[in-house]
Amino acid sequence: MKKELATFALLVVLCAIVTVLNPRFVSAANLQNTARLIGAFGIVSLGLGLVIIAGGIDLSVGSAFALLGVLLSIMLTEWHVAWPAAVLIMLALGALIGAIHGWLITRLGLQPFIVTLCGLLLYRGLARFIADDETKGFGDAAGFETLQRLASGSLFHVPTPFVALVVVSVVMWVVLHRSVYGRHLYATGRNETAATYSGVNARRVVVSAYVILGVLTGVAAIVFAFYTNSISPSSHGNFFELYAIAAAVLGGCSLRGGEGSVVGILLGTTLLQVLQNLVNLLGIPSSLNFAVMGGVILIGVVGDQVLQRRAAGVRAQ
Amino acid sequence: MSVKRTAAVCCLGLLAVSGCGRELSSTKKLAFITNNAADFWTIARKGTEKADAGLADVAVEFRLGDGTAAAQKRILDDLLAKGVDGIAISPVDPANQTAMLNYAAKQALVFTHDSDAPDSRRECYVGTDNVAAGRQAGDLIKEALPQGGRIAVFVGKLDARNAQERLQGIKESLTGSTIAIIDVRTDDTDQVRAKANVSEMLVSHPDVSALVGLWSYNGPAILNAVRDASRIGQVKIIAFDEDDETLSGVKSGAIVGTVVQQPYEFGFQSVTLLEKALKGDRSGIPPGRQVFIPTRVIRQNNVDEFKTSLAQLRGR
Repeated sequence: MKKELATFALLVVLCAIVTVLNPRFVSAANLQNTARLIGAFGIVSLGLGLVIIAGGIDLSVGSAFALLGVLLSIMLTEWHVAWPAAVLIMLALGALIGAIHGWLITRLGLQPFIVTLCGLLLYRGLARFIADDETKGFGDAAGFETLQRLASGSLFHVPTPFVALVVVSVVMWVVLHRSVYGRHLYATGRNETAATYSGVNARRVVVSAYVILGVLTGVAAIVFAFYTNSISPSSHGNFFELYAIAAAVLGGCSLRGGEGSVVGILLGTTLLQVLQNLVNLLGIPSSLNFAVMGGVILIGVVGDQVLQRRAAGVRAQ
Repeated sequence: MSVKRTAAVCCLGLLAVSGCGRELSSTKKLAFITNNAADFWTIARKGTEKADAGLADVAVEFRLGDGTAAAQKRILDDLLAKGVDGIAISPVDPANQTAMLNYAAKQALVFTHDSDAPDSRRECYVGTDNVAAGRQAGDLIKEALPQGGRIAVFVGKLDARNAQERLQGIKESLTGSTIAIIDVRTDDTDQVRAKANVSEMLVSHPDVSALVGLWSYNGPAILNAVRDASRIGQVKIIAFDEDDETLSGVKSGAIVGTVVQQPYEFGFQSVTLLEKALKGDRSGIPPGRQVFIPTRVIRQNNVDEFKTSLAQLRGR
């Protein structure tokens, strides 16, 4: 819980400073814009956080967004697939990708890093090939306006991606922190061998984590596709996996596995989006965008480490 | 496979390769290299294909870069190893690729297209005068804001030469007017960030009266963000290039106009001029060694005609 507190404190301080410098930070329009992005990035960060807790990693998420986005556009605008079917296919494809990753990692014993690095290259290439290197879009969404509204609209002024994130978070919180499966997930991430000897089906746990990430990737892919309304296969989703990994780690997930929480990941995601938002609102030159992000994350991680050491020192005495 | 058999296969292979070389020696091998993969190049490709089809003794290879200088170096090395005669390339980073272009120029006739490297030993540049294109956009801005106002500019990367030149053209055109540029925001070609930049600009500067997108995806990003904020019409939009959504925006009136290049002509002219120059006819190359393909301004009144011709070029 300590880790979440540190991130939360950093977030509150940051928000307070930005609000003082530019009160428009808390205007309805800005909160809606930011909430929309937190929703989209949060959904995938939760999935990736789950995989990280299980001791894995996934680098292919951004490329999967491009591939799934391109396929969604083709299904809806060229093949005129009914939108509920298209959504189901997206989720199924996401799950399939996750299942394949999980299978390669658990059955063939491949490193998650290399499996998903290959995925990063493979899906990007497939996306570009399928789209023939052309930007795919949704035009005026004729025939699937409902899906467009679901993915990019608002519910009582709350952006739908944020509503979706709240729902996903509640489910994930129960799964991670209040279920046997959650216990198994942490145990597997902390020490797979020990978990196996204790009767946990570690392979199944790992595969399921990748499948859940795959489904959430499918959901986020739909949201991102309708957010930009066009998917340029060579750049759509570039580096998004790193944002998700950063959010998870910032929120207390350990890349060694076995650590992390839903609340932490949500705080990490929010912090990352607020950082990008404040660069624009305070008129900081865009060129400093990544520097601000890197700097603040580093401050957060260093602060966290110092606090932990101090706590450990107190306990030792 | 035994050593002997391997050796025999290698020899056969070499014979075949050298045989091919002799057989096709009358055909000029040309290559057209892009900086990245984009719709824009699909149209340029049609131009190269058209030129290729019209010239009997030419074989054109079309190669897409991935936005990095490293990829272009690899493509160039491959082509030179294959014995290419003429190359038209859009250098990603002209200033630092001069040595690479000069090296290529020793072995083949080198043109630059789309983005120039004037300090290199390239024979000629075929492409847009981006400063002039910027001035056209500036004129559109002045037309949209007769009372003056504050504008913001959006682009992927500001260290790209075409971005700088377009911005310079806009600034030149706006000199002496009552229009001020309040900010230039970049997104590193991340389209989610591109749209978020616009949304956040509308929040931080509610008085902004026009938004300008310098790269092709910036037009749709601006359009979508302004639409989400329900400020279509209040905030004027000026774009570059011919993204489908940009053209729909021009047609509906949400976008004042867009300045488009003619990539088809890049492809067609590059191949045609390369072929002529390789034959010793340099009449097509002007003394300044720059062939400028003019940019066009597309507004509501000519957007339909432009869309039709574009659809034909893309083969859709």
